[in-house]
Amino acid sequence: MNTLIRDLVNGIWKENPIFRIVLGMCSTLAITTEAKNAIGMGTAVTFVLVCSNILISALRKVIPDKVRLACYIVIVATFVTIVDLVMAGFFFQLHKAMGIFIPLIVVNCIILGRAEAFANKNPVLNSMMDGIGMGIGYTLALLTVGSIRELLGNGSLFGLPLLGSRYIPFLLAILPPGAFIVLGLLLGLMNKVNQRLA
Amino acid sequence: MRDILELVVVLGIICVVAAFSLAKVYDITKDPIARQERLARLQTVNAVLPPHDNEPDRNTVQIPLDTANDTKGKDADAKADTKAGKKTVLVYKALQGGQVTGVAFEMSATGYGGDIGVMMGLAPDGTVKGIEITSMSETPGLGAKVTTPSFKQQFQGKSLQNTRFNVKKDGGDFDQISGATISPRAVVKAVREGLEFYQKHKEAIIQ
Amino acid sequence: MQKILLMIISTVLVNNFVVAKFLGICPFLGVSRKTETAVGMGLSVIFVVTLSTVLTWLVQVLILDRFNIQYMQTIVFILVIAGLVQFVEMVLQKTSPGLHQALGIYLPLITTNCVVLGVAVLAVQNGYSFMEALIYSLGASAGFALALVLFAGIRERLALAEIPKSLEGTAIALVTTGLLALAFMGFTGLVK
Repeated sequence: MNTLIRDLVNGIWKENPIFRIVLGMCSTLAITTEAKNAIGMGTAVTFVLVCSNILISALRKVIPDKVRLACYIVIVATFVTIVDLVMAGFFFQLHKAMGIFIPLIVVNCIILGRAEAFANKNPVLNSMMDGIGMGIGYTLALLTVGSIRELLGNGSLFGLPLLGSRYIPFLLAILPPGAFIVLGLLLGLMNKVNQRLA
Repeated sequence: MRDILELVVVLGIICVVAAFSLAKVYDITKDPIARQERLARLQTVNAVLPPHDNEPDRNTVQIPLDTANDTKGKDADAKADTKAGKKTVLVYKALQGGQVTGVAFEMSATGYGGDIGVMMGLAPDGTVKGIEITSMSETPGLGAKVTTPSFKQQFQGKSLQNTRFNVKKDGGDFDQISGATISPRAVVKAVREGLEFYQKHKEAIIQ
Repeated sequence: MQKILLMIISTVLVNNFVVAKFLGICPFLGVSRKTETAVGMGLSVIFVVTLSTVLTWLVQVLILDRFNIQYMQTIVFILVIAGLVQFVEMVLQKTSPGLHQALGIYLPLITTNCVVLGVAVLAVQNGYSFMEALIYSLGASAGFALALVLFAGIRERLALAEIPKSLEGTAIALVTTGLLALAFMGFTGLVK
């Protein structure tokens, strides 16, 4: 039980995929123009991560070493396609907002990274917890970046205007350069916090 | 030898299971997806048409875009060459009691960051009922303001006869956006070309 | 001819795949510490992206569209890419060990590079013809290579500067990329 909790919490702070291991950058920068997109993408990635972690862990003794990357890719790609189809059918607006970054979940380093580093070597339940934890960590990171960018660049949060009509939006925040700069500064902040805690 | 067999078999089984499950999911989601896409399309079309009692995408007509005569310049190629050489415009018709009360179709012009797609709705006499921006990659906060209601509403009630179709800067009647002239200019151009297109093919469309 | 030039300018400068479209960030940040490695990676990417877009375009038209199984696109495309990378690596090893030494380490990395899958999917999504897809993929990957080499040059200088401890590493790299992205934004409106 203890190890399960540990594996779950690991992905949220200590090995947060975005802020600590620094994987999955592409989607973080592209999606986070609005806080709401962060939740959508985070959920999609968590779903794929958990499902593929479970399946890969279950099959870890069966998959021959030589083709393991190819097998992981097929498994991950299958779940990604499922997410893609379900979103197109039932969450159309979100699907349109995320665009090409849904199929790109396949090459999101987080998923293949965890498959190789964790699911490959650990039992199913632990892998599931790792997937959930990493997914939550990822979603939280996305939410943070997305909220900052939406607040600064649009004066709103989840579409609700918070800063009033007198606020002149800092446009740069929702444009590409802003994405890089906000994430970079956030990373610096996290580093500083970690140094203090250590 | 046995290893290779094992590799192929395992990978093969996984692929087959994957393909099978995807086919199943596809079957389930096929209709919802089609429904959603149709809804999204209808939403834009309905937004620019006057009240009607039909479903506009069930009453359509394809009119060939005669690039030499209908539109001049590079934009004609841009629109005509999209999607692997389709050179027709799909016109949606709004009907009330069997009579055509309006038509809608999409035009495009080159803006600042790429093509801007404009869905425009016209009354049978060629007056603009409304416009919607269908696609654009203009700068948020500047050119992207062409999607604001205040900009789009400018076009209501305008026709080739009662308006000069240019932005005010170019001697016309349309407000540009401060700090962004290219985007509004493109939208105005798209609407103007749409009106000219409609004028030319009016009979074929209304019949 | 004009269309080709326009597309190249558009993909390399105006809609640069790294700083405007956010594709290929992981390798961008990971391989840009030295200019030589950046050039090597850039060339490998150009090669793999162009070749794989050509292949996936063919697969889309000849198989996926023909049999109406477009939903298999993600799986099929990524398998084609993974297979191509493996194949290229094997061929390089046999035919040109020198080149393999130089580029070899980057090749497996390229499989998970978003640019490869991204360009392949976009080329098909935009409805390009075969020639257009070819030019598009060349431009896109050249843009990636350009941004990568530029960034490596900057990072080499950055390594000699005094940076606050908490910003060292990826943090300052991201902020710098942001400034680079800002510079590239100046190219918008170039293609009228």
